[in-house]
Amino acid sequence: MSLNPLPVNSSRLGGCTLTGAISVTSHIRDTVTVVHGPKGCSHHNASLLHAICLDDDRMVMPSLISTALGESEIIFGGEEALRSTIRHAAGRDVSAIFVLSTCIVDTIGDDTCWICAEEYGVPVIPIPTAGFLGGSFQDGMNNALIALAGIAEPCPATGGINLIGEMNLEYEVRENSAEISRLLSLLGLNVNLHFVHDTTFSQLSLLGAARLNILRSPSLVPVGEVLKEQFGTPYIPSFPHGLSGTLSFIRTVAGACGIDGQEAVSGECVRQEEMIAGFSDLSNKPVSLDHTLPCVKEIPATEELAAVLDRVEEIQAAGELAARLRLPVSSDGNGISLPVGSAIGTAGTRRMLHRWRRAIHA
Amino acid sequence: MKQIALYGKGGIGKSTTSANLSAALSGRGISVMQIGCDPKRDSTRMLMQGRFIPTVMDLVRERGNEGVSLSDVVFTGYNGVRCVEAGGPEPGVGCAGRGIIATFQLLEKFGALEGDVIVYDVLGDVVCGGFAMPMREGYAQEIYLVTSGELMSLYAANNICKAVQRLSSRVKSKCRLAGVICNAKGQPREEELVTEFARRVNSAMVKYIPRDHIVQEAEVNRQTVIEYRPDSVQADHYRSLAERIMENTRLTIPTPLEIDELESLAREFF
Repeated sequence: MSLNPLPVNSSRLGGCTLTGAISVTSHIRDTVTVVHGPKGCSHHNASLLHAICLDDDRMVMPSLISTALGESEIIFGGEEALRSTIRHAAGRDVSAIFVLSTCIVDTIGDDTCWICAEEYGVPVIPIPTAGFLGGSFQDGMNNALIALAGIAEPCPATGGINLIGEMNLEYEVRENSAEISRLLSLLGLNVNLHFVHDTTFSQLSLLGAARLNILRSPSLVPVGEVLKEQFGTPYIPSFPHGLSGTLSFIRTVAGACGIDGQEAVSGECVRQEEMIAGFSDLSNKPVSLDHTLPCVKEIPATEELAAVLDRVEEIQAAGELAARLRLPVSSDGNGISLPVGSAIGTAGTRRMLHRWRRAIHA
Repeated sequence: MKQIALYGKGGIGKSTTSANLSAALSGRGISVMQIGCDPKRDSTRMLMQGRFIPTVMDLVRERGNEGVSLSDVVFTGYNGVRCVEAGGPEPGVGCAGRGIIATFQLLEKFGALEGDVIVYDVLGDVVCGGFAMPMREGYAQEIYLVTSGELMSLYAANNICKAVQRLSSRVKSKCRLAGVICNAKGQPREEELVTEFARRVNSAMVKYIPRDHIVQEAEVNRQTVIEYRPDSVQADHYRSLAERIMENTRLTIPTPLEIDELESLAREFF
């Protein structure tokens, strides 16, 4: 039996830098991502993306091409293989090509940027993703977003809001996206650009048009800072967790946009009350909440700290929810163990309550 | 089968010493193979009348592993010495160390590593795991350090001692230090210094080879000294080196020096 039923301690913050970048670039529909390395580096990523697409009822194969380096390219250099793979990709009907490096090509010193700078007829954008240099999954994601920001020009404001760094590999990515759109609509706001979730290359040019950027999680603060510097767009560091988190999120967004949000907050408050009332059957059951924190190094890296803070917010939101439902929480681990995941907005909280109900009535 | 490798600072005369050693060994009626393990591919030239033979890596690059056979990579040179050049990538790209590993795997597959003696002539410094390959997997079992009395040359030799020490501590390792060859620059007390250096690293100087203009003369004529002037004193030195190497049974785990120790040693004999 697993003593650690939730995967929080596996720390997705470690992980493959390449996968982090692919989770971004593969969501720009009319582009191709070239993975410069051995075949295996793109295969497991392609499998992962494919599985997530299927889970989402989308039968789209991720657009990944590998330079498929073998021993010969490692010895003699892989630059020629990269050049011919980019040419091959450019021959398809694509708007842009992303070139992601791997551990081995940076070990042997292939000059990826130089090869990308040649003329192919479409924009070719290199993103450094060799994980052994100390990067994490999050760095890969941030590097990809920052590289994309680098090609966006300033543009006229639309008054909309950008969602930054949606976690395309989390299984509730679409639901979370929809929930934030709903919360924004309460204030009469709409989404300007999903940066990046299921978008096209030309849509990325709208990056600078937003009045506010909302980051998916605090780990994306480096990206938020780059965008703030480049376009002057302020940012909110996280999607909201739990009930009161959602209400204060509406207030914060309203404040940042100079809107009176009181009516929206009251309306959402009523919605939350009604939602909670629907789960009154759960009351008075002794429970324990999973409150494990991500494993971090003795001196945590910045993104690790951000992830710990994010997790603390999740745990606090779950604690608040248990109190609202009058669930006695035992601190000694007795009682029904309830999962604590990310409950984004009121809708995410409702989905977590459904999971709690399944656990309690199991 | 005796498998020996010559290591030492770049430009110290490893290839010249190797080629003359192979030529001298062949004169004793011994079946010899010399393998150049340096992308510069000039180890066996003097055994091949100045010819740069095609390298294993060049052939693999052109034809792929399957398109290369034993007879494509082994060339017979002076007095039947079989010559192989590992080769490698163009300067500044790829990974030459991996090239050496791939070459060994291919030669192993061909069963090419046979005869009485194999002489491995390896790139100046053991810059990465690939260039330690001849010392691993039981290939080169006897390591000879080629050095002069110059501090930088001794420094490189001492560094190689570190690699030998590390590799020889592995359980299945057969790699040992067999001795130091002094390829003299002609500085005063050079023989004494190199002898003392060899003693301090727990080895011995097997041969002092004096500096002689005839070596350059032979090279200009694209030959080893053994071939060019078999009756010269220098040819006798190389034959004597060959004899001592064949008789040498003293294989040790070296004890590399600290840099301070090495410098004060050099000062003592200055």
